[in-house]
Amino acid sequence: PAVPCVSDGLPKPTNITFLSINMKNVLQWNPPEDLHGAEVTYTVQYFIYGQKKWLSTSGCRNISRTYCDLSAETSDYEHQYYAKVKAIWETNCSKWAETGRFYPFSETQIGPPQVALTTGENSISIVLTAPEKWKRHPKDNPVSMQQIYSNLKYNVSVYNNKSKKMWSQCVTNNTVVLTWLEPNTLYCVHVESFVPGHPRLALPSQKQCVSTWEDQTSALK
Amino acid sequence: SLRRCLISVDMRLIEKSFHEIKRALQNKDTFQNVTILSTLQSLKTIKPIDVCCVTKNLLTFYKDRVFKDHQELSPQILRNISNIANSFLYMQRALQQCQGQRWCQCSQEAINATRIVHDNYNQLEVRSAALKSLGELDIFLAWIDKNHQETSA
Repeated sequence: PAVPCVSDGLPKPTNITFLSINMKNVLQWNPPEDLHGAEVTYTVQYFIYGQKKWLSTSGCRNISRTYCDLSAETSDYEHQYYAKVKAIWETNCSKWAETGRFYPFSETQIGPPQVALTTGENSISIVLTAPEKWKRHPKDNPVSMQQIYSNLKYNVSVYNNKSKKMWSQCVTNNTVVLTWLEPNTLYCVHVESFVPGHPRLALPSQKQCVSTWEDQTSALK
Repeated sequence: SLRRCLISVDMRLIEKSFHEIKRALQNKDTFQNVTILSTLQSLKTIKPIDVCCVTKNLLTFYKDRVFKDHQELSPQILRNISNIANSFLYMQRALQQCQGQRWCQCSQEAINATRIVHDNYNQLEVRSAALKSLGELDIFLAWIDKNHQETSA
């Protein structure tokens, strides 16, 4: 059982927010100010909007880290949630610091797709695989974010290393063929997934560079 | 399908307007254990065939009750709410023009779902109910987005 503490004896944790990527929902916060060196621990609770009471989560009681993975507790992404955290030090504790209402469906960031490039003489074909939703167990069947957001789109950015020119195009299908490219030229590609509607931070894929083939006519000479 | 009817409606404009005032509205709503729309079981179980009727009924709910009952001092919030209200008006007209009543029939389930929303609204003091309903616009917009896509598949 939780040891009773003197409430309001400590300042509250600050900047408490959910960091959510592909429905992996991690609560994070900053330690209370002016408590350098103190061995502060934290306790987290969460609330399902519309329900009746705050719920504890066994994994985040009296913890010293400043984050708590609440993905399992908030896995129904069509519900909305609140979370709160308080700081504890010896027999003192802070008041609760609480998040705003968190709505995974409209707030989770969509991770980058997997990007596979194959080259031709004047073309590069790009095959995109939508990111996967967070899984409770590694063995669970994967759920693509595309199944949740059927209007998922991709922003493909291409950089010509020779001309130093960059262009982008928005695509909905998973295969893109870039044509009319210069032969024997290095092109670098990165891709972002996005869902039209609520503004969300974009997470670009790692830049990948490939070179188009040599001009076959000059290669034969 | 709903998509053909609402094709001309730019949902992103509405979502952008709401996104700008969401935190302010939701933070003022202190009744975390009560919801108006979030009885998602009622919205989640709406069949494609009822989507048009429920959309129409909820647009009417917002136009005729929520926007009228809500009192707001912040010009920024007021401006965004009126953007949303105008878009809802436009959506209503788009639905009316797009199909005859034949297609936008209301089944008993659709009527029940709408009634649950009104019942939830009536259980709160009117200003609190209006504020809460505005704070739950993201649920309605997500539902439209989801059904707007699905009815087009």
